[in-house]
Amino acid sequence: MAYVSMGEAHRRITEYLNRFCDAVSYQDSSMLCRLLSFSSNSPSLISLADALNVFQDASSLIRQSEKFSEYGEILAHLFRSLQSYRVGNLVEAYLAFDKFANAFVQEFRNWESAWALEALYVVCYEIRILAEKADKELTSNGKSPEKLKAAGSLLMKVFGVLAGKGPKRVGALYVTCQLFKTYFKLGTVNLCRSVIRSIETARIFDFEEFPRRDKVTYMYYTGRLEVFNENFPAADTKLSYALQHCNPRRERNIRMILKYLIPVKLSLGIIPKDELLQKYNLHEYMNVVQALRKGDLRLLRHALQEHEDRFLRSGVYLVLEKLELQVYQRLMKKIYIIQKLSDPARAHQLKLEVIAKALRWLEIDMDLDEVECIMTILIYKNLVKGYLAHKSKVVVLSKQDPFPKLNGKPVSS
Amino acid sequence: MNQGGNTQTVAPPLDPNSIENRYGVDGSQVQISPYQYSTVSDGASWTAPPRVENQVVQNGNYSNSNYYHPQQPTVPPATGNVQDTPITAPFTSSSTTGTANVAQDYSGYNTPYQTSSDPPQNYSNTGYSSYYSGYQQQQPSQSYPPQPVGASYQNTGAPYQPISSFQNPGSYAGTPSYSATYYNPPADYQTTGGGYQTTNYNNQTGGGYQSANYSNQTPTSNQGNYSTNPYQNYTPDAAASTHTSTVASATTTPVHYQQNYQQWSDYYSQTEVPCAPGTEKLPATSALSQSFPVSGGTNEMPASNGQPVPSYTQPWRQETNLPQPPSQQPAAAVSASNDAYWMHQTQNQQAHYPLPPQNHYQSPLETKPLHKTPFQGHQRATYPQEMNSQSSVHHAPLGYRQPTQTTPSMDTQRVSKVQIPTNPRIASNLPSGYTKIDKGSSAAGAIKTPAYVSVSMPKPKGHATAVPEPGTLPKSLCGFVERAFARCKDDKEKASCQAALKKVITEARDDGTLHTRDWDTEPLSTVLNTDVTNTESSSTLISSFQNKSPTKRPKSRWEPLVEKPFVKAAPAFSSGVKFGGWNQQNQNNKKSFESFQKADAVTDSKPIYSWQNSAKKSFQRPVKRQRFSGGAANPIDDEASSDSDKDLTPSAMLFATSAEETKRRDSRSKRFEKVQGHSRRNDIPKPMNANIGNLHSRRGTALRLGEDFDENGCRSVEDMDWNALTVKGTCQEIEKRYFRLTSAPDPSAVRPEDVLEKALLMVQDSQKNYLYKCDQLKSIRQDLTVQRIHNHLTVKVYETHARLALEAGDLPEYNQCLSQLKILYGEGIDGCSLEFAAYSLLYITLHSNNNRELLSSMSRLSKEAKKDEAVRHALSVRAAVTSGNYVMFFRLYKTAPNMNSFLMDLYVEKMRYKAVNFMSRSCRPTIPVSYLAQVLGFSSGEKETDGMEVCSEWLKAHGASLIADSNGDMLLDTKASTTSLFMPEPEDAVAHGDKNLDVNDFFTRTS
Repeated sequence: MAYVSMGEAHRRITEYLNRFCDAVSYQDSSMLCRLLSFSSNSPSLISLADALNVFQDASSLIRQSEKFSEYGEILAHLFRSLQSYRVGNLVEAYLAFDKFANAFVQEFRNWESAWALEALYVVCYEIRILAEKADKELTSNGKSPEKLKAAGSLLMKVFGVLAGKGPKRVGALYVTCQLFKTYFKLGTVNLCRSVIRSIETARIFDFEEFPRRDKVTYMYYTGRLEVFNENFPAADTKLSYALQHCNPRRERNIRMILKYLIPVKLSLGIIPKDELLQKYNLHEYMNVVQALRKGDLRLLRHALQEHEDRFLRSGVYLVLEKLELQVYQRLMKKIYIIQKLSDPARAHQLKLEVIAKALRWLEIDMDLDEVECIMTILIYKNLVKGYLAHKSKVVVLSKQDPFPKLNGKPVSS
Repeated sequence: MNQGGNTQTVAPPLDPNSIENRYGVDGSQVQISPYQYSTVSDGASWTAPPRVENQVVQNGNYSNSNYYHPQQPTVPPATGNVQDTPITAPFTSSSTTGTANVAQDYSGYNTPYQTSSDPPQNYSNTGYSSYYSGYQQQQPSQSYPPQPVGASYQNTGAPYQPISSFQNPGSYAGTPSYSATYYNPPADYQTTGGGYQTTNYNNQTGGGYQSANYSNQTPTSNQGNYSTNPYQNYTPDAAASTHTSTVASATTTPVHYQQNYQQWSDYYSQTEVPCAPGTEKLPATSALSQSFPVSGGTNEMPASNGQPVPSYTQPWRQETNLPQPPSQQPAAAVSASNDAYWMHQTQNQQAHYPLPPQNHYQSPLETKPLHKTPFQGHQRATYPQEMNSQSSVHHAPLGYRQPTQTTPSMDTQRVSKVQIPTNPRIASNLPSGYTKIDKGSSAAGAIKTPAYVSVSMPKPKGHATAVPEPGTLPKSLCGFVERAFARCKDDKEKASCQAALKKVITEARDDGTLHTRDWDTEPLSTVLNTDVTNTESSSTLISSFQNKSPTKRPKSRWEPLVEKPFVKAAPAFSSGVKFGGWNQQNQNNKKSFESFQKADAVTDSKPIYSWQNSAKKSFQRPVKRQRFSGGAANPIDDEASSDSDKDLTPSAMLFATSAEETKRRDSRSKRFEKVQGHSRRNDIPKPMNANIGNLHSRRGTALRLGEDFDENGCRSVEDMDWNALTVKGTCQEIEKRYFRLTSAPDPSAVRPEDVLEKALLMVQDSQKNYLYKCDQLKSIRQDLTVQRIHNHLTVKVYETHARLALEAGDLPEYNQCLSQLKILYGEGIDGCSLEFAAYSLLYITLHSNNNRELLSSMSRLSKEAKKDEAVRHALSVRAAVTSGNYVMFFRLYKTAPNMNSFLMDLYVEKMRYKAVNFMSRSCRPTIPVSYLAQVLGFSSGEKETDGMEVCSEWLKAHGASLIADSNGDMLLDTKASTTSLFMPEPEDAVAHGDKNLDVNDFFTRTS
């Protein structure tokens, strides 16, 4: 920390205070954003933090001027937070920032126009980031991380401020997205429901009027929620919306969307091109797609096992596991085609023995009972048309389109 | 006098508090708050008042909320002061035994605080002491006896409330008009004795306060409590004045003294205090029976009838004007106060109590803690029934006390005696009360300082004779005096001020303008001019004091608005300031009363306050002096008191330092045992509760301690050593039925760890059914929890129970155990964590059907865990279920390790139905039932036909159409079955949807 003289510190703090007050009085949102953006680590903020650590009595400075003291509470907490942040005491920084945010939101509530929305966004963003960092610090100290939870409730408060009518409504979606991020991180996804309801049931405000950025984020998260619920058509719509509207140059974002969109599309019987997987570095899906194409059950199982942790964490494991039935279907189709080549007249009769042998080639050991069970499921789910003759242990396929394609429809349950 | 009662009340308080807290009894809480009020106005006014006030206010506001519990303790202190006079008398009988001890304990607390020599500290100390005393008092008030009384009061208050509310302001304000108007109703009651009238006055005021202040609280029970409290409070201030006025004008000052004494005693030596009251009361009692008529004849009667104001004025005058009266006052005051108290009490009781007293008393006798609620109920019920009769009843209880209690209970006894004859009902109650009283009185009274007794004895006589002055000081004058004293910042100032005041007042009296002059507008300069410099310094002192006091007091989270009001009031008068704070705080609750309280309270209490202030300001000495003076039977008014203080200081000092000091220290060091002892004593009537009471008291002390620390700002509740509260079981019984705790656990009913271990073995080896085992295990779990045992034994118990619950299909119990086990495993305690991880996985897949939960629990599994047989099995089951692979499922079902199959049991039905659905849709034309029986796990393996029969029964029950082929084998006609399959309503379906709760089914499965 570079040495800062008392006078210099005083000068810096005063300058910051002046800027802050000017930003508020001129409703200069971008300036305000810059003044509040901790995580930007901008040199001006760092130097201010150093100054604050030298000049300990900043609050008296705030009190000296009427101009400053109007925002005394906001600034005092902000300074304290910045100080702690600079020193690396993130929990303290969070606590102070939380107070600051409360004071700021209170002030924001009083501003009739929504000029400070951007600044509020910054506050919402910073509180979440700071909470995550503070939690990390708490965990490393062996304490229970709870700051993100607290940040969640603060964000909920902010949402309450914005969710009403009026010009501030535009900001509601941003806060919603921050809430999503918080809840997903906390694993309390069910808390999203109330927010979603208030966004989607509001008739006063058309969804399309929200900023595109927020719409994409929102669709991404709600799409993920639908994946959890295995509601694939809905997930497809939302994630596709996010994909279509997101910034095409943000590959990372696209990849994040595709991570969920691909399993969803696979579940609907739509298989992506390899180029897509390669372009966005989604190699974990390579084998899965390959298994689906080839009807290679072993490959699918291996792929699932290989990336089990990743799939479990992202929450698509169960979705991918359900692709097994489609792989079976593909396998049956292959057997059917081969039989057709050798004996077209009896090709529509698939002996369970044959299927079991095919599976053995794939190093999957199944007895006839189990094969029969799989076949009944395939027929029941309409992945195979036909019937199973139990007595003769034969699957009799329909002569017309024995293996119907899903074509964007989910496997019936 | 009241002190005895207070002490008594104190002892029970612990229990009451705990009880109240638990029960969330508003009434008790409410009662407390009123007490605080009163206390604040009284002795507490200086330091304690602010805090008390805050608390009080809070109580008033939040009475319903649980917050109060903590506050209540604080509140009691105030009440303690107040209670000293009023409460004790009525209630003492029941609570007396405990109270004495409690008082001692508290006094111990107080003393340490007081010891600090700095004036501010003194203040704080006094405040603390007041708190402490308040605590004690609260408890007493809470304690059954007090409560009943309070309740009864409340009851009366409720009916009277409109009046009382008015009266209260009047009483506080000291406005004669109010009092006069209100007095009339009481007068009726009072009519029995002149002395009663005064009491009525007090009662009214008290009731009014209570009702007014606590309107938030339910009028019935709360008010009752309040009323008692206010009474007490008032007794020192207004009540004392009234009493004195009524009994003997001269005695008024004594009353104050007594009050002070009581307060001080509370602060300093609790033991002494109780004795003092008792002694005082005794004389008083003797005097009372006599004095009642006498006083009534002289002062009280007129005052009560419509001359409340004059009566007040007279006492005040005496106080302010006549230093001499004090000497007599102690005795006279005692008697007067006693009378007045009695009167008040009696009146109150009469009006309010008729029925309640009985109930209260009875209930106290029984289980004290639990009674509270019932009491309230009783009270309420009784309220409407008989006002008049109640009064008699109240008296009766008092009377009971009298026989038993010699010193402390005397007052009450006297009162009761007077009234007893009227109420026969009481008698039944009395026995219990007697016993208690006896104990309390004997213990407290005997131990308590003899000085008081001796003093008090002579005093009463002196009162009757020596205090002939009928004149009572106008309240405005009181206010004036108080204001004047408030300006005084040190002893010198006060002394000069006193002299000046004396002069002014005597002049006024001589002029005959004492009552006519507008004291409210009288310039203080006339009194204070002499000390211009002093006033200046005093003002600065005041400001500093004001600043200090709020800051000193570590803001407890319960007290919201204290500081501001406090500051506002402060400028006017230091002593008054606090009062103002009080009032303001109260006002916060009820703004309408603000003006009343401000003016009234200031005026009424001022004389007392001034005295107290001076005393407090001049360090603890004053208190001691007062006591001493009381002991020495110094007949000095408030003004005189300071003089007398000076005169007496040496002796007082000696007195204070020697015996008191040691006693205090003793009590301090023993406070814990004492508290417990108290509770035990209280519980004596019901041995069953004894242990519980112990715990209550322990918890109560812990709470109190916590608050104390809060006050000091040294510790917060979070810092408290809860470990100290952990129960250590002593029960050696291996078998114990489960009973859901409704109160603090009783160590004698809790088994220690080694016994629990045996109990677990016993359950494991038991051949009895699950219901029995579940019951036993739950009790083991409870004992573990209560003793905060977290170790391998705990894990074993929960694992055992979880397995047994699984075996019996008791999912709710299983879930409870599993969630506990997760915590225990999380703490790193070894157990069969993998086995239970498998159970947990199975449970999620098969029952909760929550994908996210499943994913997260799967992702939490470590690599080693996935190698575990049980976990692997569970994962396979999950795969089979998600894919619908029924063949795999039933194979896994047969090979399930541990208890996995028990969890799968619960999914078997669904899986079978699914499978038959699949097959009937997919297979044509038929499927042999034998195959189904094999695939769907019907065949047990021993006899295939058995499985087939069960299977065909099952299929028929689910709507499948079965046909027989040429060989006579049963076949499933798949095509026909496709549309006819259904899931039958479970035969053992129960209305609440959980067949596990069906008792018959449960027995069949578990026995």
